[in-house]
Amino acid sequence: MSEPFNGFAPAVAADIAVVHAGDYVNKLSGQRIERECISRIESGCRALVIDFKGTELVNSIGVSILLGVIDIAEAAGARIVFSNVSRHTVKLFELLGLTRLVALADSEEAALATLKEFVATPQGH
Amino acid sequence: MPAKTPKARRILARTAPEMFVGRGDALRELTALASPKAGHQSLVLLSAPQAGVSELLRQTFDELFRQRGGASPIYFAFARTDHVATAAARRFLHTFLTQLVAHRRDDPALVPASPTLRALLDLVAPSDYEWVESLVQKFERAVGDADERALVRVCLSAPQAAASRGVRTVVMLDDVHLSERLRGEIELGPEVAHAAVQAGVPFVLAGLRRRMLDILNGTASLVGLDGLRKLHLDRLNERDARTLVENLAQRHGVALGDETRDLAVEQLESSPYLMSALVEAARDGEVQLTSFREFQSLYVDELLGGRIHRRYTGVLEEIAPSIANRRNLLRVLHESASNVGGKSPVEVWMKRLGVDAIEFERVMRLLHMHELASFHATFVETTPGVVWRDFLQAGYRLQVAAEPRALVVADTLVETLKRAPRQMARHYRRESALKLGDLMRRFDFERVPASLLHYDRYARLYRGVARDEVESGLEAETELVRLPQIVHAASCASFHPPMLQFCDEERCSVAHGFDTTSYAEADEVVWIAAEVESKLEAGRALAELWLDRLEGVAHACGFERVRFWLISREGFSADAAELLNEREAFGSCREQLELLSARLGQASEEGAGEKAADEFAMELPMGEDTELIAAHTVEQIARRMEFQPEAINQIKTALVEACINASEHSLSTERKIYNRFRVEDDKLVITVSSRGVAVPAILSENGAHADRNGLGTNEATKGRRGWGLKLIRTLMDDVEFERVDDGTRLRMTKYLRK
Repeated sequence: MSEPFNGFAPAVAADIAVVHAGDYVNKLSGQRIERECISRIESGCRALVIDFKGTELVNSIGVSILLGVIDIAEAAGARIVFSNVSRHTVKLFELLGLTRLVALADSEEAALATLKEFVATPQGH
Repeated sequence: MPAKTPKARRILARTAPEMFVGRGDALRELTALASPKAGHQSLVLLSAPQAGVSELLRQTFDELFRQRGGASPIYFAFARTDHVATAAARRFLHTFLTQLVAHRRDDPALVPASPTLRALLDLVAPSDYEWVESLVQKFERAVGDADERALVRVCLSAPQAAASRGVRTVVMLDDVHLSERLRGEIELGPEVAHAAVQAGVPFVLAGLRRRMLDILNGTASLVGLDGLRKLHLDRLNERDARTLVENLAQRHGVALGDETRDLAVEQLESSPYLMSALVEAARDGEVQLTSFREFQSLYVDELLGGRIHRRYTGVLEEIAPSIANRRNLLRVLHESASNVGGKSPVEVWMKRLGVDAIEFERVMRLLHMHELASFHATFVETTPGVVWRDFLQAGYRLQVAAEPRALVVADTLVETLKRAPRQMARHYRRESALKLGDLMRRFDFERVPASLLHYDRYARLYRGVARDEVESGLEAETELVRLPQIVHAASCASFHPPMLQFCDEERCSVAHGFDTTSYAEADEVVWIAAEVESKLEAGRALAELWLDRLEGVAHACGFERVRFWLISREGFSADAAELLNEREAFGSCREQLELLSARLGQASEEGAGEKAADEFAMELPMGEDTELIAAHTVEQIARRMEFQPEAINQIKTALVEACINASEHSLSTERKIYNRFRVEDDKLVITVSSRGVAVPAILSENGAHADRNGLGTNEATKGRRGWGLKLIRTLMDDVEFERVDDGTRLRMTKYLRK
């Protein structure tokens, strides 16, 4: 069963937040991720890490919601990086075209490092 | 070892008591009449045709007979073969005394016997001898005087005579509607009603619901008749009907599949009579009922020459005794059934039948009584029952159009087979509908959180939030909407039939009510609610289309104050929600509806299932992430087979997608997914099936497109769903869709590569 979210990781910097995907990304947990990402973007985050550490399975409904999150972030000028994505899930994302739209990082730290550079770049450049 | 319960002996009942289903409440009500506490209370049992009322009365008889020392049960059925009222009355007296003596002697063998009245006097208990002899003497005098009225009254006074000597009986008169057909100087119906009201013992007057009260009242309304309790007996509910078919099949040793069982219930309209006829025919013909083909073959045989045929033919013979008139009747019934709504003008009927007004009225009365057609002032409507319409179609082709029998048999069989999946799909759609009419009927001025009727608010506040948190949030909401009190709700199509072009009848409802308790004209309001079909959030164009449709209904029906309410399972897009707000319409998703329903106090019910397995097999309830359970199970199996970790992940993902596909598309009413895992030397074969609407494989293959650049927003969104089959095909080695009698089966294979 998908792990309940007891709260999301606090924003690691004013502009960056980390959202944990949970063990099973399906409709409900996908919507939770979507909700948290929207909330973070609305509160000024320009970069988000969605961390898949411990994610065992992602289903196609979950993928469709993740695509929606990417759309929303793009429209808001925010950037998303997926971290700790298992090899099998990477293949799934490749198959469904997500990897063309989002950067992957091996770890949460690596994702944050990438995004710190992004947020340091002034908007409009 | 559990103790064996001795089987209750059957006397008149045709079904063992433990196999008699769906009539528990009615049976209890009837048997309670025997209690002295019930006093003299009689009741009128108004039955739908083929609802099994006779068996209910026979079961009541047996139950009361077994209760020694209590009231004596009497069961008497009117019959056409009596021809005249006096013959029926004489037979009643004879039956009454025979069954009374049998009960008081505890001798069930006497019930079917036909001793003469004088012979019965020899068997009667000494304490009863005097009054029975007196009754027999009165009867013999009335016969000698050739006084019909006196004879009928003496016979019908038997229960009163017994009661006056402290002998309590429960008199059950079946097929009372047939008393109308008996010739004689007197109308038997009112005499029977009079006896029931005056006898001082409980009577049960049973018969076809559309004629009973008219027959009992006769030409003048009888004082006291209106005070009798009325009990309505309709066909069985679906669950009981399924149990009945299973019981019948078991009793007669007929193999029966779940799919054919459900088809039998649906097609035979939960009629105990028709279901018994079919299963008994299967027994007689040594036919199994494990596939739609077997079922429909037998059904067509029964329709064209078996019990079903004889039943309808018998009714038509009663209505139109001459062959020529019967042919005309068949023709006009068939023509009417073929018209839109099954209706034809009265003039057409009269012309086709070629009868005068009196005969026309008689024909209409009988068609109405048997619920084969209804007469509405200017037109006649043929009843839309499936079996009745099939009978008409086949009967017309054979007897009026004189087509070759082989052709009619072949066509009927082919048509019924083609129809079966559609019929079941319709059934599943009906069952899966949100039942908006039922929900609105429960509106009673409650104040509910506004977010339950405004999807945009709901999505903003609660999308992705756990259910218990949503419920707490709703409790804390301060903006509330006051619901009206609904006084009547029905399908939209019943107000405006053209709506059937756009949706199933049960997916759009009209509810009339009031906004305040003053019931003033200004407070009258009509809610029109429609279930919008959309796999995703419904877009603006779809919402607009539906609002326009509902406005059209309101305009056509002359509704003045109207509230529109659209329900889309996944809710509405932002621009659709904006439109709803602009047009002051409500919009809800399925979750909102469930929450609203819960606030109105409805308990949900979910049936429990059976389990059978002789290989790796599992049965999952749909929803609640149960696909993960299947994934973990298959993981264990695949590990034992020594699949590589990557392959195991692929199998798990494919299985999850297959389960989601089954849940999303089948509209299954039983809400179960059946998984089977067959382990072979070189492969694992997984079968995922669900019972419900058969989903064409092509539907699932559509839109398997992840390239968002080439698609518009809506199409891109649509493309993001429907990836399931594409994924499964990619992850597994062989994938095969198989359409089965009642749903879809997906078989997928993964080969072992060590």
